[in-house]
Amino acid sequence: MSLAGTTGILEGVDQEPVVVPRRRPWRRSYLPYALLAPSLLFLGLFTYLPVIRVIVESLYDHPHGTGAVAATFVGLGNYTKVLADPAFRQAALNNLVYALGTLIPTLALALAFALAVQRSSRFSAVLRTVFFFPSLVPLVAAASLFFFIFLPGIGLLDYYLAKIGVRGPNWLGDSDIALWSVIGLTVWKNAGYYMLFYIAGLQNIPRDTIEAALIDGANAWQRLRYVILPALLPTTSFVVVIALINLLTSVDHVIVLTRGGPSNATNLLLYYIFQAAHENFEVGKAAAATLLSVVVLLAISLASMRIMSRGSHHEA
Amino acid sequence: MSAISRLAIGALALSFALPAAAQTKIDFFFPVPVEGKLAREMTRLVKSYNESQKEVEVTAVYTGGYDDTKLKAQAAAKAGKPPAVVLMSANFNVDLKLSGDIQSLEPMLKADGTTRDAFLADFWPALHANAMVDGELYSVPFHNSTPLLYYNVDHFKEAGLDPAKPPRTWAELVDAAKKLTKRDGDKVERYGFTMPAGYDYLGWLMEALTLSNGGRYFNEEYGGEVYYDTASMLGAARFLEDLIFKHKVMAQGVVEAGGVSTSFFAGKASMMLLSTGSLSFIRENMKAPYEVAFVPKNVRNAVPIGGASLVMFNGQSEDSKKAGWKFIKWLSSADTLGGWSRFTGYFSPRKSAYDTAEMKAFIAKNPDTKVALEQLPYAKPWFATYQTVAVRKALEDEIQAMMNGKKKPDVALKDAQKKADELMRPYVEQTALKLPR
Repeated sequence: MSLAGTTGILEGVDQEPVVVPRRRPWRRSYLPYALLAPSLLFLGLFTYLPVIRVIVESLYDHPHGTGAVAATFVGLGNYTKVLADPAFRQAALNNLVYALGTLIPTLALALAFALAVQRSSRFSAVLRTVFFFPSLVPLVAAASLFFFIFLPGIGLLDYYLAKIGVRGPNWLGDSDIALWSVIGLTVWKNAGYYMLFYIAGLQNIPRDTIEAALIDGANAWQRLRYVILPALLPTTSFVVVIALINLLTSVDHVIVLTRGGPSNATNLLLYYIFQAAHENFEVGKAAAATLLSVVVLLAISLASMRIMSRGSHHEA
Repeated sequence: MSAISRLAIGALALSFALPAAAQTKIDFFFPVPVEGKLAREMTRLVKSYNESQKEVEVTAVYTGGYDDTKLKAQAAAKAGKPPAVVLMSANFNVDLKLSGDIQSLEPMLKADGTTRDAFLADFWPALHANAMVDGELYSVPFHNSTPLLYYNVDHFKEAGLDPAKPPRTWAELVDAAKKLTKRDGDKVERYGFTMPAGYDYLGWLMEALTLSNGGRYFNEEYGGEVYYDTASMLGAARFLEDLIFKHKVMAQGVVEAGGVSTSFFAGKASMMLLSTGSLSFIRENMKAPYEVAFVPKNVRNAVPIGGASLVMFNGQSEDSKKAGWKFIKWLSSADTLGGWSRFTGYFSPRKSAYDTAEMKAFIAKNPDTKVALEQLPYAKPWFATYQTVAVRKALEDEIQAMMNGKKKPDVALKDAQKKADELMRPYVEQTALKLPR
């Protein structure tokens, strides 16, 4: 689709100079492709070829160490195996809880931050920096910090909880709580980043609509509910897509903090795939799980894009 | 990073200085499980080897932790550039042999005109099983560890216990832990006992407890059997459950190794099980006086071995095979192993490394090393099976559930056994259950 679009643009450019002889039409149709070739080559080598290889690998089984040298074609066997694996199901469920549990508070906080600091003043510039700061910390470093914040009994969190007379749980070692601790870290890490999008979105809202609402006597809540939020719908659906992709594709903190434990309570899909491929010698199963999660990601992205385009029509 | 770049510069300088034709260049991948200091020491060792002779030039590549090293070595092999020598976690050998990644070292022994028994004679007997796969030598032990009981001397005195008499049995451990645990109403101010229960560590410590209870954990001779659903492991699991829920001397849920040592340093836990490989780390960071002791027993004194061995990857030219083997022999010489052991706190796998004057002086200065060494005759092989990591995780997931109060020990072990048997079935069917037609 994007390729056809590019061709159109290039054709337009191509028609300008008269020196191009009409007798060689191949030049017109091939030149754009020739110009695109370097990026196509790299896209093909590093994006599409691996995708195809993953698809092929998901259809084969290489039994580990059983003497069978060649891979056998198993059709959808790997997919049924993955779907029947309780560890995969738990990882999928964890990922769902993790995604929703992170997304909603992150968006709410990001919006609240953006509303709080949208006006330019020296104080709000400082606040913006403070809110944005966690996004500057690499996820691995943040996780290493939180390892000590979450330490049961002696960590920073328990230290302050003890001051108000509360004894914290085993944040990362209790299978009922561990995932929520990971969610807490992710919200802390991401809210400031999405705040930037909301600040941009807020600045795009025409001042006159808000002023009109003011003149009509709308209070702060009514302005937010009936003017600002609807106008922010495209921003929100964009942020939702970005956030969801981010939530499915980064597991650095899980690796640092819990390695999916205790008892798989914090295992997420990507880490499950890593374990299957690199710890358990199950490449086929890992490929199948990869494709399944990519399909889910694509579906989410398409749905959000549809909402996004509807949102912009609404705005127009 | 800087160590590697410095090495690269060193290697470059060396390649100008020496005639390149006669030299075989090989790659050596090594992990560092604890800290960056060890990576620098390893780089120094390799440099001194390169300077000591002219036939082989080794490029040392620091490859992260144990798991990363396995991953990177396998990735390099897949890409057609298998490393000649890799320092690999000793219990990955069975899997790596089965996946066709590593080669048997028997041809090298034969070329040297020696036998496996003669070669292994100087290595501690407990290490032999992990060095071999299906009766052939596949790896040479490099540094080793066992679990050890660390305890806070001040806490012992405060609780009226004699620091010179650490708990030697499970009964004594429970008794001491009860006295050491400090309570404030419902809240626990200080736990009497703690141990790491994250993945990898928990499996190893469950093996320690099971061995101390007379059990075996796995079949040392055959990679298709583990003994999870047995009386000896059930006793070990119940013991752990009791420490948490009945005696309440250990925190509920999972604490990772970093959390365990931190709470020991902070005086929030009085006794802990941790690797002898952490001896140097504890020595440097523990402010209060501490002592070490054998892992307490219920039936017998026994602990599993841990650590890393040198393996050679498949797909080498004859020259680099020879060069790799030559380097392995140098790295596993008594002198090198002794120096590395003093630097890191790991055991030297060679007995003769302890006969040197330097080693004797070192042990006299660091008596905790002596306790660790005295426990070595009671050591047993580290579990290594088909699908080692997954089979281990099958047990760990269940024990972690038990430590969170979600499962009873007997159910947990039955489920773990079922999962492990399922994982090993493809191998079992191709081996033990494959009968003549």
